[in-house]
This record gives sequence, C-alpha cells and structure tokens, in this order.
Amino acid sequence: MAQLQQQIQPHQAAKPLLDVPELQFWHDKAVAWGQADRPDTLKDTCLHMSRLKDYLQQLLTHINNMSSTSETMKRLPLLGQFLGRLCWNPCVTADAPGRWLLFQCLWGLYSEHPGNAVETKANQWIRKVLCQLATEEDDAAAQALMKRMGVPPKEYHLKVLIKMVAMLQENIGKSCSSLFDINHRCSCDNILAASEACVPLVTFPEAAPLISALLQQPATCVRAALSQDFLDALSSAYSSKCLLLEEQEVVSLWYHSLSSLEEAVLSLLECVFTNTGSTPQELKWQLAHSLLPKACAQHCSIFLVVNDIFRSLLKQAEENESVKYLIQTFSSSFFREWGLLQHKTSGSLKALFPQSPQSLLIPLWTWPSEMPQEAWRHHLNWLSCSLQRLTEDEEEGDSDGSTRGHLRVFEAWYLLIQCAHWVQVAVQLLATLQPEDCGPLLWLLTFYHHPTKRGHHRTSQLVHAKEAWDHLRSLFSFLAHPFPVDRVQSLITLLSLKPQQTSPSPFLILKLLLNFCVFSQQSLNGSSEILQTVVNRSGLVNEAVRVLSSLELRLIEDSCLSSDTNRVHLRIKAFQNTLTHMCATLNPATNQTHPQTLITEPRSSEFILDAGFSQGTFAE
Amino acid sequence: MEAVLKNLSSTAELLAVAARSSVVEQWDKQTLSRAFHWARYCEHLFSRFLNNTTIRRVIEKQLRLTNESLRAVFTGYADICFSDLSQCQHLLLVGLLKNPELPISIMKILFDTASPVNNQQSDYQDVTGLCSHIIQCKSACKVLSPLTDLSGADAEVQGAVLMERLEDLLSGGGEASRIEHILNSFLQEGEGASGHICLVISAALLTRTNSAAAQTASQDFLLDWLQKKQSVLQQMCSAIPSTLIIDLAKRHVKFRDAYCDVLKKWASEMEYSMSEGEWVQANTNRTVSFQRVTEHFLALFVACPSLRKDVEKELNALNISDGDFDVRGLSVWGDLLSAINK
Repeated sequence: MAQLQQQIQPHQAAKPLLDVPELQFWHDKAVAWGQADRPDTLKDTCLHMSRLKDYLQQLLTHINNMSSTSETMKRLPLLGQFLGRLCWNPCVTADAPGRWLLFQCLWGLYSEHPGNAVETKANQWIRKVLCQLATEEDDAAAQALMKRMGVPPKEYHLKVLIKMVAMLQENIGKSCSSLFDINHRCSCDNILAASEACVPLVTFPEAAPLISALLQQPATCVRAALSQDFLDALSSAYSSKCLLLEEQEVVSLWYHSLSSLEEAVLSLLECVFTNTGSTPQELKWQLAHSLLPKACAQHCSIFLVVNDIFRSLLKQAEENESVKYLIQTFSSSFFREWGLLQHKTSGSLKALFPQSPQSLLIPLWTWPSEMPQEAWRHHLNWLSCSLQRLTEDEEEGDSDGSTRGHLRVFEAWYLLIQCAHWVQVAVQLLATLQPEDCGPLLWLLTFYHHPTKRGHHRTSQLVHAKEAWDHLRSLFSFLAHPFPVDRVQSLITLLSLKPQQTSPSPFLILKLLLNFCVFSQQSLNGSSEILQTVVNRSGLVNEAVRVLSSLELRLIEDSCLSSDTNRVHLRIKAFQNTLTHMCATLNPATNQTHPQTLITEPRSSEFILDAGFSQGTFAE
Repeated sequence: MEAVLKNLSSTAELLAVAARSSVVEQWDKQTLSRAFHWARYCEHLFSRFLNNTTIRRVIEKQLRLTNESLRAVFTGYADICFSDLSQCQHLLLVGLLKNPELPISIMKILFDTASPVNNQQSDYQDVTGLCSHIIQCKSACKVLSPLTDLSGADAEVQGAVLMERLEDLLSGGGEASRIEHILNSFLQEGEGASGHICLVISAALLTRTNSAAAQTASQDFLLDWLQKKQSVLQQMCSAIPSTLIIDLAKRHVKFRDAYCDVLKKWASEMEYSMSEGEWVQANTNRTVSFQRVTEHFLALFVACPSLRKDVEKELNALNISDGDFDVRGLSVWGDLLSAINK
C-alpha cells in the first residue's frame, strides 16, 4: 500500500480548491464512457486513465480537507454522480491505483457519525454501491449453472479471466504473414487494441501472461504496434516497483519504450557513481545485474541508445578514469553477450558502431586471448600506427577550424576506451620490452590518457611518459640493494607534478608501475619496496589498489596468461596485501576488506579534470 | 461425524448472524477472518462429500434442522441447502455487505486495494482486499471481453467445469441416473440461453484434461446422454460454428456418427417445394436449408475422408429405394448425391 500511495502521491497537485468546470468536464467524460462496454468508449477511458488518476488524487485531497460530507456535496454537487459512474466503468475499477483512489474518495465521503439526512443518505449509497460492485452478477444464467456445478462466483470469474488471457495470448503469439503481402488483412490490429485494453491491467498478476506476450510479440508487421499509453503505464509501474517483470520482458520494454530505457541507463549511472566503494568485480556484477549489456546484445537499437548516453557522458568528463573504466567494463560485458548471441542476431559490428573508424573495428574487438601472445606486440604496433596516422591526418586537416576531424579523432578514441583491454595489454608488454621497441606502445598509452592534441602537447607528454618508463625500467632491472634514490625521486616528482598540460596522467604512470611490479623479473621483495615507496610518497594508495584489482580482473577474465600464471597471481596477491596494509595505516578507521575508495574521489578535483584540458574538449 | 455436523450448524448460524444480526457491529479483522475460515470449511465439506450419497443425506438432514431453528429466530431467513455450501464464502460476503450494521472498518478491509507486490506480506490475506480482488477480476473480464468477442471464454470455462464434475461423479461411482439428472437440470438452468448451452457442451467435449481415461469415460457419458437428447443434438449441429462441429466430429467417432445421422434426418424431413424449386424442411420451422445440409456433408467429408464412400453408398441405396430416377425434385437422396458430387 505504501508503494501504491507513493506512486500516486507525487502527482498531487498543490491546487487547494477544485473548480466546478473541471468536475463538469470529467463528469461529462464519465457519462460519455458509460460502462465502457464499446470499443471506442473503452479506448477513450484507457487513454485518459493517467490524467483521471491525477484528478482523483486532487479530489481526494479536496474531500479530506473539507469539514463534512454535506459541505463537500454543497460545493461539488456533481461529485456523487461522478464517482458513482466511475464505479461502473470497468477500466477504472480494473486499474489498481484507480480503484484505490476511487474507494478512498468514497471513504472520504462516508460520515462515521452522520449529522443530517444528506450524510445518512450518502452513507447508505456508498454501502449499496460497494455491495453491488462486489456481489452482483451480470450473467445470471452462468451463475446458476456454476452454482449447480459447485463453483463459487469468485473462482468462476478468475477462471474466465485466466481463459481470456490465455486465448488472447495465443492469438498474439500467432505469427503474421503480412510482411510478404501488404494487402493481406492480419490480426495484428488486435495487438494495438489489446495493448490499449491492458493499460488498466498492467499490475494485475492474472494478466501478466498477456502483458508478456504483447511485449514480446515478434515485430514482423507494421500494424503490430503497441500503444504508447500501455508502454507508459508499464514503465511507470515497473519503475515504482509495483510490477515485477521477467528479464526478457524488461528487455522488450526497453526495446519498445525509449524513455524507460533512458531511465534504466541513468539509474545505473547513478547507482555506479554514488556507490563509490565498489571494486571492479562489483562493478562488473552491477552491470550484469542491470541487464543492460544483455539487452544491448539482443537489440542493436538499444545498444545505439546506451552507447550514445555513454558517448555524451565521456564528452562531459573525458579525463575521468572511472567513467572510462565504466565504459570499458560495460563494453566488454556487452561484447561477451553479443558473442553468445551472434548466430541469432543480424546486427553486424558495422551496424553497432556506425561512427567508429571501420578499419579499427575488428582489430580492436578481437580479444587478446583470441590470438597467440607472440602476436600481441605486432598487433599493438599496428593499432598504434593506425591511430597515429588517423590523428595526424585529422589534426592536420583540422587547421581550417572545422570540427569534423576532431570528431573523427574522438570516435577513434572512444572506440579505444571501449576496447581498453588492448591498452592494458600494451602496459603489460611495456613492463618487459626493450627501449627500442617501446615507442608505439607508449604512444598508444599516452593517446589513451591524452586524446587531444591541445597546444601540441602530446609530444611533451610522450616525452614524460618515456621518461617515467625509463625510470621504472631501470628500477625494476636493478637487482641489488639499495635502489638508485634519484630514479625513485624522479618518478615521484613526475607523479606529483601539478596537473598541467605537459604532465602525463598519474594513472598512466601508476599503471606502468603496477605492471612492472607484476610482470618484470624484479624480485617480489624488491618490487614491493619500490611500490611501497612510490605509492606512499605520492599518496596514491587507493588509486593503486584500484589499478591492481582491475589488472587482476582482466587476467582472470582473459585467461591469457602464459606459463607463469601462478607466479603472476601470487605476486598480485602479495602487492594487494602490501597496499591493504598501507591503506590500514593511512586510514585506520576504514574497513579493511574495502580499503579503496573510488577513483572519483581523487587527490583533488584537478586530478580528474586535468587543468590542462578544459572540461569537455570533445563536448559539443 | 458428529463434530462435522456441529461445525456445519455453527457455520449456518454464522451466515445467518452475519446477514441479519446487529452483532456484526462488534466484529473486527480477526472475527472476519475466522468467519471466512469457517465458510471455506463448509466449501470443503461440499466438495468432499459431493459424491457420497449417504453422508450428503446426513448433512442435508442436519441443515434442515438448523434451518428450522434459524427460521424461528430470524424473520425472513432464507434456508441453506447442500449445494449452497459450495458458495459459502460468497453467501457470507453478500450477507455481511447487506447488513447495515457492518462496521465501516470491516468494509475498508474487504475493499482494501493494495499493490500486488505488497499484498503477499499483509496479515489476514484471506479477507484483506477480498472484494477489491473480486471487483478487479470482474472488471478485467469486462475490459478484455470486447477483444475475445466470439471465442467465448465463459463457455469454455463452463464446459471445462462440467467435464470436471462429470469426471468426479463417474470416478466416485455415482449412479448413471443421478448424473443424467444433473445434466438434465443443467440443461434446464440454461433454458433461456440454449445456444450458449450448445457451446458449453461442445467445449466440454473438446476439453483435454490430464487424466485421459477419466476424460474418455466422462466424454462418452456426455455423448450418450446427448444422443438421447435429439433436440439438443440437432440444435448443436445447426447453431454452433461449423469449425467447432468439424473439430467435434474429428475428435469423437460417436459424435461423427450422430452428426451424420442428424444430417440424414434433416434430409429425410425435406419436401420438394415446386414454388421455390428447392428442397425445404417440411414440418419444422425451416432452420436448415438444402444448401446447408449439402455444405455440412461436404465439410464432414473433408474432415473425415474415409466416411465419404460409406455415406455415398448409403445415399445411393436410399435413392434406389426411391426409384432411382435421374430427375431433380423426385428423391432428396438423389439430389443430395448429385449436389455432393458436383
């Protein structure tokens, strides 16, 4: 009940007194509808249900504010007639919130201690109407038969309803052949009519099979459209939790109703960004639980909408690591679901990513586990060179100030964000490469973190990235103690630089650091010591935890480790312990099992929206 | 058994009190729930002893006694019989709602409209929102009925119920005469709506239940009964949609043969009208035309091709007995044969 009230309450209007003309309007409507026993009156009632409920809510407030029923009746003489008519309109009485409001109005008019004849009469009338509604039978012959057969009326009505629902459901399930013959009359017109009639029934459990059939009917025919009022009623009942839907029904609802899809995506984003303590594993679960990746895999149109929302989110916050990570995680969840369904869906990669550079689609959407490890470096070199060429071409052609080239670069970058598993592989390889081989991979990593070439700073960012890599390489190949202090210091300096256009993202360096820790040949103790020193002095413990756990998750998911799987996992566990320990020392109050905070809580806001990058460079 | 009879009497008294006494003024949610509990108990007694003649008679005797004493207490008291027991909750509800002393708080419980999600957690689920659910169900049927206009969900439900009852009666070893009596009274109840009864019977004959054996027995019983009710059978053949008749003929050989006989009977009753130049039904009120009879035969042959040869042979023999003339208007059989083979 509370939820039902909640569902109704927000519509409550502030208007204190109701005017007679409005009641007259609704009264005339109720008269015109009669008992809604003709298709046109039934349809009109269903289409007005939502507004009618708003009005009943206002009426209820009004009735409850009056001192007595006589006073109410004096102000609104038509009220009794109006409510009485609604009682006999099955659309109103079938709809749970509608019926609730109607009965509340009647209770509001009932006087516990009637003070005059009008009130006594009103009481008697209310009792009589309710008694008739609940017990009177239209079909006396059927009732007599059922009594002889020993079936109580309540059970009989339920049986008839279930039968009707089954019959309609069966009709809807029949496939339509009008796709091949446009002149062929089909029964798909019924689908619109049925969906309109279902507006008051959306929360009625007995009608659930019909609702489900309507939502999931194969859309083979142009006539088989669902009524917008039906979809709106479903969305609002679903989002106010007055209605439980099966997975597939939810997907169908999103497919048919853009507003409910948008609402689902926004509520996912809200959930992700307010629940700041979640680990990459939890984020992955959250995404799967939202059903959106599955829905996207089933319907290209759903994917395009969701992808557009993510695209504009990224434009608003291009430097935000958690937005990037969300998009990457979502995309890979989606892609796995899509892979499972590929034999069923007709949508090609091209249709799913119409704006992306087509030549990069397949190479980027190939999982690292799908090719031999020896081929990774070559593949990454190719990707890096292609992206480099693309950005150079566009940026050169961009001198006339047009934004087209700019958008092309953005789309390429957006695709790289979605397929960031390749960036992760690049960082992994960088931990073991020779200096002469690291150029393209470092470029890819820098581009991932700094997509815009604002003020031609990419070159200097690249220089800094190389510098950081050099320090790390020398630290992690140094096998004797103590480590060269100057290297450690330079690294910390790089990490602690005030964010400016030429300084590389701290995340870039952190990722390099952790990959060196995990994959280089440096001893565990030595690596731990470097990690501890750098992280401690740069104050990036939480960020390091986060980077490490996303690294771990990728390795588990891709199962693309070589013979040293065990070694890698043991090292990861050891570093996790080191970091957890540091977290505990830093924030003794926080729960040790969830020491990390989300990356959206950085050292400073500048960290997220790097000062060198005015917010939303790509934003339109 | 004594305890059962005592409970039965108490419940009958409860029904009377609920409908006619001012005591209900003091009822609360718990009383209400208990009252419906007892009403359900009686419904259970009904279905339990429906097919047990001995116990049913004992119960009927007890009810007579209780009725007598209640009649003395409440003026205008309406007696309760055995078959009323199946509707006990309904009777209780009607009684309560018509009792002007029923507290408004009890009405609010009965008409409570909770959302389906919440409904499962509330106390006194049996009575909370009872009326609201009934109203919702009836209203939903009304909302959906324009969409199912000709398919007759109600006839199908009634047919299925009829079948269930027959199965119960037969498996409970009920005597044939009593079951026939029930069917006859079933027919009487539907007097005003005989077209509807035909739909109910055909729905019953087309019902498929879980137990194949029980179903065969009860459908056989119904078919045998139908053959004794020639007027009902004929009405079925002329009133229900031909697709249904064909379904029935395909499903039941007994019905197929009976249907074929009805068609032949209709033909045999026809006379050639010189003025109209057509065969017409002589003594009846002309419900079926020669054209319709031909169509019926053709549809039957399409559904059951094996039948065609035998029927044609039969019609041919009848035509020969009429003199085997090759002239239109002399023998209905000869004309029927040529119409069928056109």
